[in-house]
Amino acid sequence: MTARRALAVLLLAGTALTGCGSGGGSGEAPEDYPTDDIELLVPYTAGGPTDIAARALAAHMEDELGQSVVVTNAPGASGATAYQQLINADADGYTLSMTALPTAVLNYLSNEVGYTREDFAPVGVVTQVPSGIIVPADSPYESLEDLFDAARADPEAVTVGTPGATNTHAAETQRITALYDVPLTVVPFNGNAEVQTALLGGNVTAGFANLSQDVLPAIDSGDLRVLAVGSPEPLPYVDAPTFVELDYPELVQSTTTFGVIAPAGTPAEVVQTLEDTLRTAAEEPGVVEALDERYVPAEFIGADGLGELFAETEETFRDVLGD
Amino acid sequence: MSTWSGIGQGFSVALDPTNLLYVFLGVLIGTVIGVLPGLGPTATIALLLPITYSVEPVTAVILLAGIYYGSMYGGTITSVLLRLPGEAASVVTTFDGYQMAKQGRAGPALGIAAVGSFIGGIVSVVGLVLLAPPLADLAVSFGPPEFVALTVLGILLVTYLGTGSALKSLSMAALGLLLSTAGLDPITGTARFTFGEVSLFNGLDFVAVAMGLFGVGEILHSLERTEKVQAVTAKIKGIWPTRTDFRDSAGAIGRGSLLGFVIGVLPGGGGVVSSLASYAMEKRRAKDPSRFGKGAIEGVAGPETANNASSTSAFIPLLTLGIPANVVLALIFGALLVQGITPGPQLIEQEPEIFWGVIASMFIGNLMLLALNIPMVGIFVQMLRVRAGILAAFALLVTMAGVFSVNNNVFDMWIVLGFGVIGWLMKKTGFEPGPLVLAFVLGPILERAFRQSMLLSGGSFDIFVTRPLSGGLFALMAVIIIVSAVTSRRRKAVFGRVDPADVDEPAPDADRQVTAEGSPGADSTTDTPPTSTPGER
Repeated sequence: MTARRALAVLLLAGTALTGCGSGGGSGEAPEDYPTDDIELLVPYTAGGPTDIAARALAAHMEDELGQSVVVTNAPGASGATAYQQLINADADGYTLSMTALPTAVLNYLSNEVGYTREDFAPVGVVTQVPSGIIVPADSPYESLEDLFDAARADPEAVTVGTPGATNTHAAETQRITALYDVPLTVVPFNGNAEVQTALLGGNVTAGFANLSQDVLPAIDSGDLRVLAVGSPEPLPYVDAPTFVELDYPELVQSTTTFGVIAPAGTPAEVVQTLEDTLRTAAEEPGVVEALDERYVPAEFIGADGLGELFAETEETFRDVLGD
Repeated sequence: MSTWSGIGQGFSVALDPTNLLYVFLGVLIGTVIGVLPGLGPTATIALLLPITYSVEPVTAVILLAGIYYGSMYGGTITSVLLRLPGEAASVVTTFDGYQMAKQGRAGPALGIAAVGSFIGGIVSVVGLVLLAPPLADLAVSFGPPEFVALTVLGILLVTYLGTGSALKSLSMAALGLLLSTAGLDPITGTARFTFGEVSLFNGLDFVAVAMGLFGVGEILHSLERTEKVQAVTAKIKGIWPTRTDFRDSAGAIGRGSLLGFVIGVLPGGGGVVSSLASYAMEKRRAKDPSRFGKGAIEGVAGPETANNASSTSAFIPLLTLGIPANVVLALIFGALLVQGITPGPQLIEQEPEIFWGVIASMFIGNLMLLALNIPMVGIFVQMLRVRAGILAAFALLVTMAGVFSVNNNVFDMWIVLGFGVIGWLMKKTGFEPGPLVLAFVLGPILERAFRQSMLLSGGSFDIFVTRPLSGGLFALMAVIIIVSAVTSRRRKAVFGRVDPADVDEPAPDADRQVTAEGSPGADSTTDTPPTSTPGER
């Protein structure tokens, strides 16, 4: 028994040692970072928009940092699987993760998922995808006011399809009801494509969805009309007013922000190095094209900016999710 | 896009060397596993799923589709030569095919099956080309209530038309629905049945469940089989059927093509049901029904044609509605989801290369199968000599590595093993995994659509009957239930000689007959064929 236990201890110690060794970071000065492979976790499946952005970014990071950047997909639980993996890794800059806001925040506000924003060290923003209220071409509603009037007149009249139950659009639609007293029924679908189908088939009155690459063609062709966009500033590629312009100044929380995070406690120098890399990525035409220039913020948002976004998102949605 | 330019695009996709290779691999693997008893298309596709993630989506579907219809050809060979159905849909072929082989007419039996399969496949591909695009246009107007109706219809048919005990099928479907509720609530985002385990937030992984139930369950079960496959590899002569054979089976092939096509489109339809239906139809139409079971060539030609036709047309609901018609299609559905593609009404428009490419590949694949099957039957039969133990060990290794690669999640490997044991126990006790897995896949679609409908209607059930399409579908379901209850007796007479114990998803084998015979079937109130002792044993 004793011998066996001793062996087990030895084995454990050995594993721990090799673990540190392969981690590569411990003991080295943060200024030398990076000296080893970097793992970039993607909380979504391969081939999706986050994955494509991560791979474009990884290629750029390899050029800039001179180390391999390995993209690992860890999908599941709206990102919680990847975030748990992230915060359990050494905070040395060799394990990073892509993140999507506000989903990452809504996730821990609504369920016990084993992390909060305090567990992350934000690095910077990669892309921001705005959202909008969309109706089919033959909808009787010509403006957002028309739609909201109809809802006020008959509380059951307006159904709003959203791409999911725990994402920004459902929460933002509930905020419209809460803040401006417009009764809207949220009907969650599974992703943007299903919302689009439901709109084209006339099964929901309106949709609140990402204005991402998969929806824009239908808007350009005129099959769908955008009544309002959720970005603070008007969008150059969508002909529609913002909520702010329509006197709904509070409705600026529906944009999805894709960024990079590290585990909390990652040395400041390391975060700085990574932030600089993201900044140069946003200036590199090849990378910007891969990310889709429509979604790369005009002005780079770094670690502090992303941190503020996390705090602001949490602030905004904490109350909405109570009910 | 017009049909012709679509077909043109499809062939340019399918004739791409990589895709051509994968069609060939698919039909070859399909034939091989069709020959090997115990390893049906469901288990194989479940096992190979993870491998497909590294290739283009269209290539993945081309491969998996090839395995599916390829196995319809391959399953015939052992049914005829050994009275051992290589996969479930070929069960009925054992009735007359084996008798033909005993009379020294194994060649024509295999030949007519290959020719019939080819014709059925091609008819079905043409039907797919003509029917799918308009159906997809129509499907855009399908709202949540229609999806409720379609998924309920699917679950109803898979349990009702199922071949084992309807009660067992129903309980398995219920279990599948229950399992599918684990994870985040689709409407409110609340965690259900997750026991605080973040790995369960997205529910049980479908690939892991399917690989466990079908793949590992099948492997464990096959290891228990003790009886050796006797090599009946006497020279097979005159594969190409004679003029008389063709004349005798022309009608059966024609009817089988249409019947198979229609049954394949129905949710819950597919291989076994279509071949059973075709056999019943041929027997009913025959001037001298007593010839059936004694080597009637129509009894081989019809069902073999029908099962291949149905395996192709089963793609229609998946590619146009995003609803898998049977378990194999559910697996292909899973493969597309993992690739980031959600099959639905907009697939043809948004991913035309997948839709048309797969169709063109089916045409090419059927040609390859015809070419493979006629001259190479003897070689395929030799494969029966591979030892089950070697095959099983290899398959288990591939499964475990494969399921880990899907999500890079160790938890999924435990799910596979857990469901593998469950699948093995289910096989031993005569419960079919098919209804469970199909209900598991349809469950989330059904739940979401049902609750969306409730949101849209403000909580009123009227929405299901006042909309013409969903109302019509629910009426159809009522008719199906009533009609099959009424005709239950008549069907029993027709299936008098059919050994229902053989007819089982995913792949029956000798043991199975023993266990299933003890199970209730005749005493159930549905149209389940009676579990009478078969005429020949």
